[in-house]
Amino acid sequence: MNGEVIALGAESIISHIEKWGLDLAVKTRQKKPYLLPDIDENLRNTRISRECKLLIAVRTLGILSPSVYAIDYLSKSIIMDYIAGEQLKVIISKEPVNRGKVLCQKFGGILAKLHNGGIVHGDPTTSNVIVDNEENLWLIDFGLAEMNATIEMKGVDLHLVRRAFETTHWNYQGPLFDAFIEGYTTNLNESTEEILERMNEIRERGRYH
Amino acid sequence: MPLNCLGVEGTAHSFGAGVVTSDGKVLSNIWDMLSPSEGGIHPREASRHHSEIGPGIIKNAIEEAGISPSRIDLISFSQGPGLGPCLRATATIARTLAMSLDVPLVGVNHCVAHIEIGRLESKFKDPVTVYVSGGNSQIIAFAGGRYRTFGETLDIALGNMLDVFGRYAGFPFPAGPIIERTAKEGAHYYPLPYSVKGMDLSYSGMLTAAKKLYDDNTRLEDICFSIQETAFGMIAEIAERAIAHTKKNELLLTGGVARNSRLTEILEGVANRHNCTFHRVSPSLAGDQGAMIAWTGILQYNAGNTLKVEESYVLPKWRTDEQDIIWRDNL
Repeated sequence: MNGEVIALGAESIISHIEKWGLDLAVKTRQKKPYLLPDIDENLRNTRISRECKLLIAVRTLGILSPSVYAIDYLSKSIIMDYIAGEQLKVIISKEPVNRGKVLCQKFGGILAKLHNGGIVHGDPTTSNVIVDNEENLWLIDFGLAEMNATIEMKGVDLHLVRRAFETTHWNYQGPLFDAFIEGYTTNLNESTEEILERMNEIRERGRYH
Repeated sequence: MPLNCLGVEGTAHSFGAGVVTSDGKVLSNIWDMLSPSEGGIHPREASRHHSEIGPGIIKNAIEEAGISPSRIDLISFSQGPGLGPCLRATATIARTLAMSLDVPLVGVNHCVAHIEIGRLESKFKDPVTVYVSGGNSQIIAFAGGRYRTFGETLDIALGNMLDVFGRYAGFPFPAGPIIERTAKEGAHYYPLPYSVKGMDLSYSGMLTAAKKLYDDNTRLEDICFSIQETAFGMIAEIAERAIAHTKKNELLLTGGVARNSRLTEILEGVANRHNCTFHRVSPSLAGDQGAMIAWTGILQYNAGNTLKVEESYVLPKWRTDEQDIIWRDNL
């Protein structure tokens, strides 16, 4: 299946195709020649099955995400909905102040919904959020997601969001992350205190001090 | 005439002194590492080690550089991050030198120094840096005037994980080189927890699992092989994510664990996959040493950044991304 390549990431190639009268995306996890073949095969198998399972699970939580149509276990490919729109990352870099803040608040709300359902995303960066032309946010890329989320896992998710703001949106990281946390806190079914505390603790853990 | 900078390093278990010129020549680079007979590094013991052997190392570094002390134009020291007692012992030595020689004092960030010495040697302009040592595992890249940490360990550092397993298996400190040698005889891969979260990773789970394999009398060569393949695969994956994200085309490997050849081979594979140029710092500049502090001191001094002695407090928690990199063009 050949289509237009729309993303060439570290982990996969994503192409845009038309099939069955639908706009679809094909996500293929390629072999990584630098990894031990045992590890590589195992990772690609785990991640493809995890991604499919969780793309279905998150829909039951009312989170917008691509539907899965087919899986090819041999080429490690998933065929799913193509989401037309722009990455949140791109929008923020163009309109960081007003629109960016509103969208980050929505992003916080979506991550809270996900956590309410006991799922963590595992790679919640602004590249993995697509904004459609009705300002709806779609969450994508569930290859590192996990179920049965603990406080620790939720804390890691928030730590990764903060990291993304620090490295990619450094000029506006303060207000954008505040907006995100506001959206998260409003929508979370439990107190955020413990999770936020854990997020701060995680940040300090890996350093020599 | 080029400037001569004497740099002193002492953030953890090593104390080092090196003389580097402002045109980037390393004239000398001498260090000594505290090797405890058992257990890990005790901060107080390490700081005592620095105070006791520091003056001798500095004297040797100046002699080997072939200059008289009066030819030293500035002193730089590792101001942080690191273990408080070690940083204080080192800072005291640096302040004393700056005052007695009556030359400017520069405070250097240890992690930034690892990157800068790597840039000097590789002639890289703007690399993604994999910095792996006993205390740190970070993926760093320059963005918006600072070195930003794109990924790091969520619990223990790569070198620390290797040392702790090595101690468990009865290897002397540092265990990394012995694990590397032993792994060469390994053939069977035992799956160990592979934990990548975004651009971060975690080594504590695989350490526990590796210890369990040891308890079960698994062939040691195979455990070492499995540890290396898993741990290095994880760091390679987050390095690859950082390259894909930043779209930079140079990959630099630095820090004490950069001496590992299997890690080097794996990261070369990552670089090839993304058409990046790869460089690993040479062994004498990989670990903690004074030359990297001296060279970064020169860069900072030339950009007008010096410290008053009375304001030269140590910064044990100084994050890599907290320093404005004023000597680099803002890309």
